[in-house]
Amino acid sequence: MIKLTRVFKTFDGGRSYAVKDLSLSVDWGETLVLLGSSGCGKTTTLKMINRLIEPTKGTIEVNGRDVMDHNPVDLRRQIGYVFQEIGLFPHMTIEQNVEIVPRLLGWSIRSRRERMQELLDLVGLPAERFAERFPDELSGGQQQRVGVARALAANPTYLLMDEPFGALDALTREALQQELLTLKNQIKKTIVFVTHDLHEALLIGDRIAILHEGNLEQIGTKKDILDTPATKFVKDLFAIKRPSIFT
Amino acid sequence: MSFDALVAYILERLPELWLRTGEHLMLTGCSTLSAMFIGIPVGILLYRTTWLRGPMMGVIGILQTIPSLAMLVFLLALLKKIGVMPALIALTLYALLPIARNTLTGLEEVSAEVMEAAEGIGMQEYQQLMMVRIPLAAPVIVAGIRTAAVVGVGIATLSAFIGAGGLGQFINRGLALANTNLILLGAIPAALLALIVDFSIGAFEWGLRPERKRDKKGSVQSLMRQLAFMLPVALVLIGIVTYFTKPGWISESATQLETGHRIVRIGTKNFTEQLILGEMMAQLIETKTDLIVERRFNLGGTMICHGALVNGEIDLYAEYTGTGLTAILKHAVISDPEEALHYVTKTYHERFDLQWLKPFGFNNTYAISVRAADAAQNGWNTISDLKESAKNLLAGFTAEFAERPDGYPGLRQAYTLQFGDVRDFDPSLMYEAIRNNEVDVICAFATDGRIAAYNLKPLKDDRNFFPPYHAAPVIREEILKTHPELGDVLSLFGGLIDNARMQRLNFEVDGKKRRTAEVVKEFLKAKGIL
Repeated sequence: MIKLTRVFKTFDGGRSYAVKDLSLSVDWGETLVLLGSSGCGKTTTLKMINRLIEPTKGTIEVNGRDVMDHNPVDLRRQIGYVFQEIGLFPHMTIEQNVEIVPRLLGWSIRSRRERMQELLDLVGLPAERFAERFPDELSGGQQQRVGVARALAANPTYLLMDEPFGALDALTREALQQELLTLKNQIKKTIVFVTHDLHEALLIGDRIAILHEGNLEQIGTKKDILDTPATKFVKDLFAIKRPSIFT
Repeated sequence: MSFDALVAYILERLPELWLRTGEHLMLTGCSTLSAMFIGIPVGILLYRTTWLRGPMMGVIGILQTIPSLAMLVFLLALLKKIGVMPALIALTLYALLPIARNTLTGLEEVSAEVMEAAEGIGMQEYQQLMMVRIPLAAPVIVAGIRTAAVVGVGIATLSAFIGAGGLGQFINRGLALANTNLILLGAIPAALLALIVDFSIGAFEWGLRPERKRDKKGSVQSLMRQLAFMLPVALVLIGIVTYFTKPGWISESATQLETGHRIVRIGTKNFTEQLILGEMMAQLIETKTDLIVERRFNLGGTMICHGALVNGEIDLYAEYTGTGLTAILKHAVISDPEEALHYVTKTYHERFDLQWLKPFGFNNTYAISVRAADAAQNGWNTISDLKESAKNLLAGFTAEFAERPDGYPGLRQAYTLQFGDVRDFDPSLMYEAIRNNEVDVICAFATDGRIAAYNLKPLKDDRNFFPPYHAAPVIREEILKTHPELGDVLSLFGGLIDNARMQRLNFEVDGKKRRTAEVVKEFLKAKGIL
């Protein structure tokens, strides 16, 4: 379980806050989407969970323990992270990229290899064809599949996904969203998923947290949010374009 | 030169060419390696310590701008050594800048997204550096090493100035003897070597490319990759092996160990007359004593020769009274030859424990010279005659003359004379320059064979400005004590060579391109000394 209690984050010594008084929790096996436009504090929130950014005030607990009490390196190795810009290592093969966290954790070569094959199969990139390629020899969609496989490699309990499909074309994005839905049911992870895409949020999230200028506007299931918007901002947001598939 | 003669010429010098190439590789390779061992960590340190960047890159940049000869003289003073050591240090210092700078730039340029991913998946700071940042910066770092090594091949030619060998030895000797063939014998292989070094590090870069890693074991590609990695290593190894297995006729350092003090090391500056005098002393000592002579010829000028002598890196060389007086002792000009010799003898003994022996006889003073045709046309006979037209004349001087108090600065005062422009030349190029009408006045040496050969007219020093430059062997008193026979043998030269004879000897070598050793042998035989 991930729990944020009254978290604040400022990058300019308190003149403005990227995240203001944010409290929320992510339950076991749940997918929580952090939804908001750019600059709303959603990525900052995500990065605070694995201590890429440290909170100015408030506590963030992972597994019931304050992240500030964790060794950041150990913490990050327990949490899978899928990066916005994909973030594969260009000088490593797909195999090496997927194996990197198990390698850091000191797994044996054999178990690393088995895990790598399993994961590449899971994301639909058979190892025999893709393991030895380099990231720039893959399409954007394939690279992000590798990004997901890498995040899952050490079998983490948590998965943080920072607009993973943002840079992809619409067709690829939709295919990957569908794959993620399937994957979600297979792997039973606790996922925090950041997006600015309403459609994506409604499709993927078990619950959705809507952030606006650092404030939490509303958190709830899609039904809660669509039926009883808590604030005018939320109401307006969904009034503009109510996605047809949910009506 | 006909083709056959050319082939013969090269074949004859092939063993030495191989040796010098090996030395050159050793100098370039070892200095580039040590610059890597210093430069890459410095680059990493600077990457991590922002405040150090400005000052440190400044210092490394300044090192780069120090003229090579000044650097060598400075290192000689510091290390009290000539030869390979100071050359290696100088080359290493020059190679630092491209390597350190490229390391820093390469590390800085790794994309922030990739580094965030490295941190985000849980890499320790040193893992981020070793597993991601450095591998991604590697191509830029290797490019820096490539620049350093190629530039190093060029700079290493200057190592010959300080007796470190290398292909510069041919160039240096060629320049000293105005012998184009010799210059090319050094310059062409050096240029080829630069290309080879460039290619081999380029190949290394190619082998380093990530996609090379998946080449199948045993495939042509993977074989080529391994070759590419071995190429630079092999070059350095060839250099080191050649250097350490060089035959005794080149370096007697091994003999020196075996025979203790039975070795005499003779130095010379880098021009023809010095080489002749050095060879003359060497041959005489070799025949008349049972001492072994090591020829550390062609050192880069007065300061390096004197420094080497004072530091016991050589045992003797021929110096000129005027040079000793003004350049070494910083004394005012003494016009009387006897008095000048007396003064330097006394002061050298007191100050350096060095002994001046009997002068050879000739006076190689500066001779302000013009083309004979110009002299006839303008009625120039003395230096004073130049005064009227000086501002329209272009002077070509050696770098030493341009600076020395008994050179141009003093001349200007003594004759209230100011030339239109002054260019610095290497001694041998200076004569070519006046011959080709590129300059009108030069500071010829009175004993130079080219004065006659190029139809130049030395102007009379009507104000007795130039001090006498009588050449004499200058020797360490220590070795004179252990081997008193050296003094006796060298005194055979006393008064043996007058100006005209020295001019002829010089011309035999740099005019007629004959071998120094041969000319010297002939002369000593004719004189009944050998």
